[in-house]
Amino acid sequence: MSEVRLQVRNLCKSFGITKAVQNVSFDINKGEVHALIGENGSGKSTLTNMLTGIYTIDSGTFILDGKEIHPKNQVEANKEGVSIIVQELGTLDGLTVAENIFLGHEDMFVKYGIKNTNAMNRRAAELLKKYGFDKIKASDPVENYNFEDRKLVEIIKATYFGPKIVVIDETTTALSQEGREELYKHMNRIREEGNTVIFISHDLSEILDKSDTITILRDGVYIDTVKSSDMDEDSLKKLMVGREVTGAYYRADYGEKISDEVVLSVKGVNVPGLIRDITFDLHKGEILGFGGLSESGMHEVGKAVFGASYDRSGSVTLADGTQINDIPTAIKHSIAYTSKDRDNESVVMNQSIGDNICLPSLDELANKAHLLSDRKLKEFANKHAKEMSVKMVNTDQFVSDLSGGNKQKVVLARWIGKDSDIVVLDSPTRGIDIKVKQDIYQLMDQMRKNGKAIIMISEELMELIGMCDRILIMKDGALNGELMRSKDLDENLLISKMV
Amino acid sequence: MESSNTASAGKKISGSAKGYLILALLVVVSWLVFKIATPGNFGSPSNMVSYFEASLIAATGAVGFYFVMVMGMFDFSIGANIVLSSIIGAKLATQFGLGYPGLILGCVATGALVGFLNGTFYVRLRIPSMIVTTGLALIYEALANIISGKETLPTSMMAFGKMPGNLLLALAAFVIAYLVLNYTKIGTYTYAIGSNEFVAKNMGINVNKYKVLAFVISGAFFGVMAVLTISYGSSIVAVTGMASMSRNFIPTMGCFFGMAFKKYGIPLQAIIIGEFMINIIFYGFIALGAPTAIQDVITGLALLIIITLTTRASKGEIVK
Repeated sequence: MSEVRLQVRNLCKSFGITKAVQNVSFDINKGEVHALIGENGSGKSTLTNMLTGIYTIDSGTFILDGKEIHPKNQVEANKEGVSIIVQELGTLDGLTVAENIFLGHEDMFVKYGIKNTNAMNRRAAELLKKYGFDKIKASDPVENYNFEDRKLVEIIKATYFGPKIVVIDETTTALSQEGREELYKHMNRIREEGNTVIFISHDLSEILDKSDTITILRDGVYIDTVKSSDMDEDSLKKLMVGREVTGAYYRADYGEKISDEVVLSVKGVNVPGLIRDITFDLHKGEILGFGGLSESGMHEVGKAVFGASYDRSGSVTLADGTQINDIPTAIKHSIAYTSKDRDNESVVMNQSIGDNICLPSLDELANKAHLLSDRKLKEFANKHAKEMSVKMVNTDQFVSDLSGGNKQKVVLARWIGKDSDIVVLDSPTRGIDIKVKQDIYQLMDQMRKNGKAIIMISEELMELIGMCDRILIMKDGALNGELMRSKDLDENLLISKMV
Repeated sequence: MESSNTASAGKKISGSAKGYLILALLVVVSWLVFKIATPGNFGSPSNMVSYFEASLIAATGAVGFYFVMVMGMFDFSIGANIVLSSIIGAKLATQFGLGYPGLILGCVATGALVGFLNGTFYVRLRIPSMIVTTGLALIYEALANIISGKETLPTSMMAFGKMPGNLLLALAAFVIAYLVLNYTKIGTYTYAIGSNEFVAKNMGINVNKYKVLAFVISGAFFGVMAVLTISYGSSIVAVTGMASMSRNFIPTMGCFFGMAFKKYGIPLQAIIIGEFMINIIFYGFIALGAPTAIQDVITGLALLIIITLTTRASKGEIVK
């Protein structure tokens, strides 16, 4: 029997009338990767946020190595031996890499009130070297680095002091394969040192592959703790959703002919430093996938099509000859776009769910005198929020209160409400649980059957293979291959064209 | 932060060198414009030294104000602070017979106290700093007026109004600001809070404490500016009805330079050189004999142009 590291006892947390975590109790052992799974809003992040001092506890306790802990912030949690790598960006602009690594812990470099920047940089450089991240310089401003590299800085920040527990909260969804491998390596190291990783991910195959033990939460309630080796994806899904997840996950059809009708034509599109000479046609009723490494430029293609790229050259033309060069023209001509960077580019955080859903449809919702009726807006928002089964109190609730997956549902509800003909979805299922993933896939399939054209940009190769009629692979900013829908497609074939 | 080179390989000159180059160019261009326009009575080497001396006054306040601005806050009570601080400092120096120590301590302590009040009210009332400091400015002005309508320093106490006293005091202020910004936790936390307050809070940083501290630092530096102001002009009048607001403009403008050159890693240096450049423009107009209204129009435009050219937000970046 392994030794218990953390005892979670009768933990409760509510946000207004929403009970996010209800009387949860379970144990986490030393030297294991312990996965926490559950649908969006099941309470995983709320629980770990309480453990790391980001949220206060309503009632209940965490007992770490026999001692009750009550961290009030991340630094206090660090002192107790608990750290976290968050889902979104956790480093601060305006500070150097070294300052970010040691933020809140500067005292070890301060003597008589004066900070020894050189010593701090030296120590950070040693850590960067030890972790194999030599390409990152300790004294550089952190904003000089991209998302992935900044995540690597966060890995050091969260682990350099040998914490007893490291929480990894859906970090992998934001990383490319290379970044993930780096993270897995450090997860293993932590486990081998006898410490514990609490691992949150929506990717069940990743969970089964990387974790030793899995705890399942549903609607804020503890369901079960199981050994990964005893489980398969279907049995996990059943525990998460509370019933069998039946029906096809991805599309089941093969061999359907793509329509000859071109709805959007992209020719010779360049965005300096990001993409070059991108040319493709999008057909009616087609799901066209874009795959590649995170930095391959595929995310910029979505922006370019939506008229959201700066300094773009080349043309994006609709079937009627309309040129799409800016966002208003795109929206006016029934193009929708959801960004990978949900919090910053898709949802308006400090607005209600209703406002977010109605935002691009206000012209249609206004009456002849251009006035908006509150009742009509509410009905519209309610209808589409329910369609996407957004977990909410009502549509007046702020989007900032929602979990990551529910925010994504709001974004999708917005464009479904708009009934767009061409839909560009960048990482649509990022950080989304299986039930909603399945809903989104079915929705995409239905839209395709209704003659809508979809561009899906994704880092998840299986969903590209499972959903797309055609997959364009990008490498170093350019197209590097085209794969047609087939039962024989596998991940390796895609990867071979990506790297 | 000073020595940090940019990560992008292949850049020939470091960020700070580029920043210095732009600043030097701005100084030369503004000098050249007025030198050509009015060659006789502008821009000789001795003139330039006196412009620089005059610019030290606002620069000392601006380097402190930078701490407040980086955190995303603002202060409309700068002028009121300077008036109140210099009146109290001068009173302590002359009527209480405390001489220079009284002048410096009186000004700096009053400035810091004003900063403390600004910060505390802002944090406690949880209303925008602009509104808090505007309201408090009225009170500071009134207070200065109640204490004394006007204070004058005797000629024997003007050491900080001329070389080398003014330069030494300003240098001491710059060095302290530089050290605090680059070599203490306060500097790191200032940038952290300015970047993302929520994350900063989660890192265990007592955000409210450091916000108040930023106002205290800023206030203390305005106290130093008050010493230089009253020493330079020998007297100060306690105005009311927000008339002190006109004193806000120059230190604030210098601070904009600091914000614009933050990306080059030389914000404080940019403030000092920026204030110098602003003075070159001011004295240039005086040499030209341009009417005040025209001077204001051109100064306002120059500010917009310079900050636009130096800030150059990347496309798509949200500017508020």
